[in-house]
Amino acid sequence: MYGENGALLRAELASLLTQHRVQLRIGGDGTHSVPITSTDAERRQIGDQIGSYRHAALLWCRQATRAVAPHTASNLNPRQPNPFRLPSLHHGALGALALALDQAIDAASARLPTLEELTTPQDLPMVEHWRQVARAAALGEHDFDAGLRRDSLDARQTHTLIGDIAAAVRALVVLDQRYSNIPGWEKLHRGERLGWAALACALDASLEPPDYALDAHGWRPKAKVITGPAKPGLLGVLQAEHNLVIRMKSFPSAMNLRLVVDSQRLLSAGLAPLAAKTDTNLEQAWLTRAQTYLDLQHQLRNIGGRVGTGGLAVTEAANAVSRLKIIRRDADLDPRALHAFTTLFARLDARIADIIEAGVKRNGYFTRVTMPRIVENSGQLVAPPRHRYLPLAEGDQTTIIGLVRDRLRPPPQPPTAPAGAARSRAELHSAIVHQPGTGTTGPSLSM
Amino acid sequence: MLLAHAATLAEARSYLAALADHARSVEASSAYERALIELDWVHGDDTPALDTAGITRDCDIVMGLAVCAVQQLADYGVDALHIELVLASLADAHALDEP
Repeated sequence: MYGENGALLRAELASLLTQHRVQLRIGGDGTHSVPITSTDAERRQIGDQIGSYRHAALLWCRQATRAVAPHTASNLNPRQPNPFRLPSLHHGALGALALALDQAIDAASARLPTLEELTTPQDLPMVEHWRQVARAAALGEHDFDAGLRRDSLDARQTHTLIGDIAAAVRALVVLDQRYSNIPGWEKLHRGERLGWAALACALDASLEPPDYALDAHGWRPKAKVITGPAKPGLLGVLQAEHNLVIRMKSFPSAMNLRLVVDSQRLLSAGLAPLAAKTDTNLEQAWLTRAQTYLDLQHQLRNIGGRVGTGGLAVTEAANAVSRLKIIRRDADLDPRALHAFTTLFARLDARIADIIEAGVKRNGYFTRVTMPRIVENSGQLVAPPRHRYLPLAEGDQTTIIGLVRDRLRPPPQPPTAPAGAARSRAELHSAIVHQPGTGTTGPSLSM
Repeated sequence: MLLAHAATLAEARSYLAALADHARSVEASSAYERALIELDWVHGDDTPALDTAGITRDCDIVMGLAVCAVQQLADYGVDALHIELVLASLADAHALDEP
């Protein structure tokens, strides 16, 4: 997820920016009270290592600019008053930043860190911070292909990402200046230009208020089935329901869908009395859900379709119901476990709504229609009836579609920014302008 | 599927659905629904539509009609063991529906 990788990148850059007297930290000279512990060659080697870690961070910045660059408009562009004409998609600052990054990366002789260098902890704390920066950059590369692109972000989120890229580039430029005393240090090619382009991007992005819901985008590990024996009590039901949500990723046949719907009706009706002691709102919500599933079950009686699987989902649904049955009504239940069902129910309801709508759209589900006509010349002694199935999309299925859209599908939740999203950015910006000795422990003026 | 078979199957499905609609508890209603799904499964989900309109609310009468309709399916070549299994699940559901 971009929130995690971006926060790690910013936190580690902020830690590096607060570290001054770089020579001292890699065992070089700087003060009379601390002896020199490393040779010139060793410091050169450390500089090379940091350079390769920095190269990974630069590459992340370049990939990020490429992910947002096409069709991103600058906030400085005038609004297009004519709705039939496309607004200008020119973003001069972002183009300049992308060009400066390209030139800096092409001119650099540093290599990318190997997997071993990324995963092996470093002895020196400062190099370890750089390793974490490179690690966050490498992990962050997953996010661009998993939802952190221009086509899945809105304008405000795109500008927030541009602001993040600009801050990271600014941090790298400041650190580059500070590390110039390391023996053999390779400075960024045209670092000043890179810094100015980043500043222009940051100022452009700051014209609109940021949208930190951006952090919820990106790569996430796939949810896995919880295997093993059933957990005791309500956790066992939760385990089966979690597995059911995952198993429902495959398209179920109509009959298996009916069995899953039946299980959810039983589960909601069975859980509602258990929730009554802790939360009456939860009880009411689950009784409503049970009624919704009852109505859906009635609608699905006359719907058939052999396409699909769903056997594993039915098994997990049956597990959930059978485990719920053995829980005593007066048992003390953890309210957190009860509330966990709300999340799972919302995901399952959305998935079942998707399945039914996809079944209607793809003609996977059919409504049973008995036609009262006899086939006359069938060649058999007894004439068979002509009964046939109608695709759901052709029949008058407003009831089931209305039920699915209005009552089953949970209302869309606007994405919310995770806690600490704004603080993480503020800390990096504060660290970029950090000066040594300006904290509470710094020297004070005396009259 | 012959016309008489389809008509009997539609009747059986309608009676099972009516029993599920008027069951006294959620568990019993769900058990009737599963008996209906089992009946559909026996026919490979190739079944005519059901219609519960006009069926009496008296559970005992509907239960008798349902058992009779399911038993009649044997005349149309449905496997006798499958019919017995459907009848067994129907009896289980009815036991849950007892006051």
